[in-house]
Amino acid sequence: MDDLGSAALRSSPVAPRGRIGQLRERASGRHSPLRRLDWVLTGAVLALAVLGALLVWSATRTRLADVGGDPNSFLKRHLLNLVIGLVLATAAMLLDYRLLRAYAPFVYLGSLLGLVAVLVVGTTINGAHSWIVLPAGFQLQPSEFAKVALIVGVAMILGEKRDGRNGVRAARPGDLDVVVVLALALVPIVLIMLQPDFGTVMVLVFVILGMLAVGGAPRRWVLGLLLGGVLLGTAILQFHLLKPYQEARLTSFVSSDASTNSTTSYNVDQAKTAIANGGLAGRGLLHGQQTQGQFVPEQQTDFVFTVAGEELGFLGAGGILLALGIVLWRALSIATASDDTFGALIGTGVVCWFAFQAFVNIGMTLGIMPVTGLPLPFVSYGGSSMFANMLAVGLLQNVRLRSRTDPYAL
Amino acid sequence: MNDGIRARIIMLRVLALSLLVTLGARLWVLQILDNDRYRRVAETNRVREVVTSSPRGMILDDQGEALVRNRSSLVISVNRSTTDRQADRGRAAFAQLSSVIGMPVDEIEKKIRFCSATVAQPCWNGSPYQPVPVAQDVAPAQALAIIEHPERFPGITADLQAVREYPFGSLAAHELGYLAPVSQEELDRQAAARKDGESGPDKFHLNSLVGVAGLESVYDEQLRGVDGVEGLEVDRFGRVSGTASDTPPVPGNHLVLHLDRGVQAAAEQALQGVLDKLPGGPHARTASAVVLDAKNGGVIALASLPSYDPSVFTGGISQEDYKALSDPANGIPLLSRAYQGTGAAASTFKVVSTAVAMTWLGAKPKQNFDCAPTLQIGGQTFHNFDGSSAGPITLHQALVISCDVIFDKFAYDEWLRDGGLRNGRGPYAEPAEHFVKMAEAMGFGSRTGIDLPGEAPGAVVGREKARAIWEELKESYCRRAANGYPEEKDPVKAKRYQQYASEACVDGYLYNAGAAAQFSIGQGQYLSVSPLQLAVAYASIANGGTVLQPQLAKAVVAPDGTVVKRFEPVVKGKLPVPGDVLGYIREALHGVTSEPGGTASGVFADWPKDIIPIAGKTGTAEVEGREDTSWFASFGPVSDPRYVVVVTIPDSGTGATYAAPAAKQIYQAIFGVGRPAEMPGGLPPGDLPQVGSDGQIDVLPSAALGPAAVGPAQSAPTSPDAAGAAPPDGRLARPAVLTARPGVPAGGASAAGTLSGGPRAPPAGLAG
Repeated sequence: MDDLGSAALRSSPVAPRGRIGQLRERASGRHSPLRRLDWVLTGAVLALAVLGALLVWSATRTRLADVGGDPNSFLKRHLLNLVIGLVLATAAMLLDYRLLRAYAPFVYLGSLLGLVAVLVVGTTINGAHSWIVLPAGFQLQPSEFAKVALIVGVAMILGEKRDGRNGVRAARPGDLDVVVVLALALVPIVLIMLQPDFGTVMVLVFVILGMLAVGGAPRRWVLGLLLGGVLLGTAILQFHLLKPYQEARLTSFVSSDASTNSTTSYNVDQAKTAIANGGLAGRGLLHGQQTQGQFVPEQQTDFVFTVAGEELGFLGAGGILLALGIVLWRALSIATASDDTFGALIGTGVVCWFAFQAFVNIGMTLGIMPVTGLPLPFVSYGGSSMFANMLAVGLLQNVRLRSRTDPYAL
Repeated sequence: MNDGIRARIIMLRVLALSLLVTLGARLWVLQILDNDRYRRVAETNRVREVVTSSPRGMILDDQGEALVRNRSSLVISVNRSTTDRQADRGRAAFAQLSSVIGMPVDEIEKKIRFCSATVAQPCWNGSPYQPVPVAQDVAPAQALAIIEHPERFPGITADLQAVREYPFGSLAAHELGYLAPVSQEELDRQAAARKDGESGPDKFHLNSLVGVAGLESVYDEQLRGVDGVEGLEVDRFGRVSGTASDTPPVPGNHLVLHLDRGVQAAAEQALQGVLDKLPGGPHARTASAVVLDAKNGGVIALASLPSYDPSVFTGGISQEDYKALSDPANGIPLLSRAYQGTGAAASTFKVVSTAVAMTWLGAKPKQNFDCAPTLQIGGQTFHNFDGSSAGPITLHQALVISCDVIFDKFAYDEWLRDGGLRNGRGPYAEPAEHFVKMAEAMGFGSRTGIDLPGEAPGAVVGREKARAIWEELKESYCRRAANGYPEEKDPVKAKRYQQYASEACVDGYLYNAGAAAQFSIGQGQYLSVSPLQLAVAYASIANGGTVLQPQLAKAVVAPDGTVVKRFEPVVKGKLPVPGDVLGYIREALHGVTSEPGGTASGVFADWPKDIIPIAGKTGTAEVEGREDTSWFASFGPVSDPRYVVVVTIPDSGTGATYAAPAAKQIYQAIFGVGRPAEMPGGLPPGDLPQVGSDGQIDVLPSAALGPAAVGPAQSAPTSPDAAGAAPPDGRLARPAVLTARPGVPAGGASAAGTLSGGPRAPPAGLAG
C-alpha cells in the first residue's frame, strides 16, 4: 500500500503550484484525509460530547456550589477531557491501522500491565478497585483502555487467518484461533473481575462474542459460548455467588417495586422519576427538579442520561439515542467498507462495545436493565472513558481513511 | 474481505438498531405515557409541606361569652431540619435548652425522635419539617431567654400557640365536646378523595386536631378554618432551597349558640343541689335538665350530671381518665342524660293523652270522668298513684291532681276498639292507635334532630312494631323460657324473668292491654322518651302546636364579625290538635302550679304567679329495683310561653319533691326571681353578640341586660334552699338583690304584670 500523501499526489488532476499549494491540495483535495474523514460520525460524536458537557454541568453545578466549590469545575474538566480525547483520536487516526498489527501484542501487554498496576496501587471508588490516582487530580481507569486493547488484539488474531498474510491461504478462524482468543480475553477479564468491575467484564464478553460471531468462528463455539454465558449467569444468581449488594443491583430491575427499600431500587426509582418528569420537551436545562434537587445518584457519570431525560425531555433524550444510532451505523458502514478483515473486526468490536454499553447504561436508568457502573459513551463524565471512546473513534476513522471503498457508497 | 462478514455485520446492524428502538420505546412510555404520574412523584419529592394550624373559632353563648376559646400557650419547639444539620446534631443547643427549661437533654431527644413501629411515645409522629413541640406553657422568661439569643439556640424556637380552653370547666361539657388528633382513617379517606380528583386545600394534616364530640364535631367544618401550608423546596438531603408556595392559615369561624351560660350554670347547680341532698349522695346518680326556647327551638340549656371537664382531652386523654369517664360506677360522665338517655316519662306524658281524648275521643272541656281508685284491666288492677279517689272530675282537674285511672280508661277503651289482643290477626279494621299517633306527632319515638351527635331516639311502640320486635326477639325469649336466667343471683327475680320469657315466647306478639293503658300515663314497655323529646313536645303545646327541631347553634360568625350563617328555626311538624284544646291543656298545666291540689302547687307556693305564671306537670316514673324517676316538664310564662324547662332526676322520688324545685330554680335564674336574671328582660337576646374585626367579642353591655327580676319581697319568701342555690358568681357585676331602677315606678308589680314586650324592650324591672 502507498502512503496517504503519495495517493493524494498521484490522483491529483491539477499539478500543484508551489509548496503552499501542495499543502492546500493535500488538506482539501478529493483524496485529502480531511475530506475522507467520516464527518457524520465525527459530528455525531462531537454532538454527544458537547451535550454531555452541558448535562454534566447541570448535574454538578448545584452540588459543587453546595460544598463551596467552583460550580463549573466538572464542566471545565469534562471539556479538557474532551480536548485530550480529540488529540488521542487524531493520534489513533494518523498511524496506519495496519501497522497496529505489529504493535498489537504490545498494546495488549500494556493494557494488562495497567490492570495489574491498578490492583497494586489502585484506589477503590464505589466498591470497585478500578482507579489509579495521578497527580493534579487526575485518575486513570485502565479497564477502559483494556477494551480498546482487547479489540485490537482479537481483531489481529481473527483477521490474520482471514487476510491470509505471509503467503498463507485465507481461511476461516479455526478452533485453535478461538482458543487463543478466549485465552487472550480471559487474562484481562480475570484481572477486571478482581477489581471487581462486572460491568466492564460484561462489555468484554459481549465484544468477544460479537467479534467471534462476525469474524466467522465455528458456529459451535459461538452458540456454545452464548449458552455457557447464560448458564453461568443463572448459576451465579442461583447459588448466590455474588455479594448481596451486587445481586441486588442485578435483580432489582426485575422487581423494583417489591424492594422499594433498598438503595439500588431507590436509585432506579429516582432515575425513572427524573426521566419521566421531563415529558416531551423537558423541564429546561438547569431546571430539572430531580436533577437540581440531587435526587439521582452518580448523575454526572452513570446516570447522566437522567439529566437529559428530565431537562431536555423526550426530544433531547431521543436525540441522544439518535446520535448514538448514527455513531453505530457509521461505524458498521466503515467496518463493511474496510479493505481487510482486521479493519472490519475493529469496527465490529467498537460497535459491540458502544452498543452494549449504551444499552445497559440507558436501560438501567429506564429501569429495564440491572444497575452496573457503566458510563454512557461520550456523554458521561470521566477521563479514561472519554479517552478510550475517542481512541476507538480514532481507530474507526483510521480504517475509514485507508479503505478504498467509500462507506457512503454502501 | 468476504461477503460472509458483510452479511454478519448487517445482522449486527439490525441488532444494534433494535436495542436503540427498545430504549426509545421505553423512553416514550416513561416520558409521554407515564409523565403525569411521575410528575406528581417528582413534585412530592421536591416540596415538603410545613403546616401552620389555623386558629379554631370560639364557641360563644347567646350573649357572647366564650364557652370554648383558645388560650395562648408559650411553646418551645425544635426544628429538626436545622438541628440535624449541625455538626453535633444539635446537642449543644439541647444542652442550652435543658438549662433553660429544666428538662433533661435525654428527654428532649426522646421527644424529637421520629415515631416508628419500634419507637414508642414520647416521639414525634409529624412531618420532619414541622417544628416539634418539646415544652408547653413555659414561663415568659424562659421563652425570652430563647428568643433573645437565637445564636445559642439554633433550630429552637419559642412562640405562642393556640390551645383549646374551657373557661367554665365542666359547664355544658356534653354539648361543647372536645378535640382529638385526626384519625388515620380520616387521613386515608382524604388521601383517597384526593386520588379521585378532589381538589382544594387539605382539611386535615398529620397531627391536626378535629372535633370528635359535641358541637366541636358537628360544626368542625365551620370552626376549623383552613390550615396554612408552606411548601418548602428541598433537595435530596432535605436542605431547604426555597419556598414553592405559601398559603397563610384562614382562621375558623365562631359559633354563636342559643345556649346561655348563666341559665346552663343555674341548671347544673340546681341539679347538683338535688343530687347532693338525696340520701346516699350524688354517687353514680344522674340528673338532667333541658331549657328550650318555645318560639324557635333554641336550646338555652342542656344539662346532664355527672359531667366532666373537657380539658382532660386537651393534649390527649389518658387511658385511666377515659375509663373513669365511661365507668357506670361513676354514672358514665361522658353520656348526656338529657338527649342520650331515655326512660318512662310518667305523668308528664298525660298531656299527650289529654290531647288524644279531646281531639279524637270526644272528651269535652267541662265533661266529668270518674277518677276511681282502681281500674281492672284483664287480670291486672291499676291504681291511682296513691290509691286515692277524686270522684268525677274534668280533664283539667285530672291533669292538675294527676289522676291516672281516667287516662288508663281512655287508653284501655281505645285498645278494645282497636281489636284488643288480636294484633294483626284476622279481617279487622285498621287499628286507630290514637295514642301512638299523637305521641309520634309530638316527636316521641324518633330523634328530635338536635345538632349534637349520638342522640337517643327513644321508642313509641304500636301494634305493628310490637309484632316486629317480637319476631326479632322470639328466639331469645323462648331460649330464656327453656334455660332460665342462671346469671341472675336473686332466685325470685330469676324465676319471674323466666316466667315473663315463657309468656313472651308464646304470645309476645299480642298487644298487651296493660301496657297499652300504661302508655297513656307515660309508663310501660311501649314507651321510652328522652328529656329533650319531652321538652320538644311541651314546646309544641306551649307555642300553639308547632313541633320544632331543637338547635344549639344560632349563627356562624366570621372572625371579622360578619355573619356567615344564621340558623333559622326548623319546623318538624304541626300538632293535629285544635288550638282551643292546646289552650285548655296550657290552662290545666298552669293549674298544676297554681291551683289548690295541684301537684306542684306546693313547690310554686312562693312563686310570683301573677307576674310569671308557670305551667308544668309533675311525673313520677316507677323503675324496678330503684327509687322513682322524678320528672317536671313545664313552660312559662303561661300568657306568652317562651321557655320550656324539663328536669329529670332518676333514682330519687316524686316529681314534685325533686324535679319541680330544680325547675323552679332554673326559672328563678331565667327571670331573676330572688337573684339576678340570666335572661335580660326575661327574654333571650334578639341580636347576635358583636364580634370585632380583631376577633374580640363584646359581651352584650350590661346596661342592655337590665335585670327583669322579681324581688323576694313581692311574694312569699323564697325558700332558703332556692336562695342558697343562687350562684355567687352572677354574670358581670350585677347586684345580687335588685333595687328599683330609675324610671321604674315603685310598687309597680301590677303595672309590670307581664314580661312580654318584645326583644330589646325596656326591662320589666320590679322592686319592692
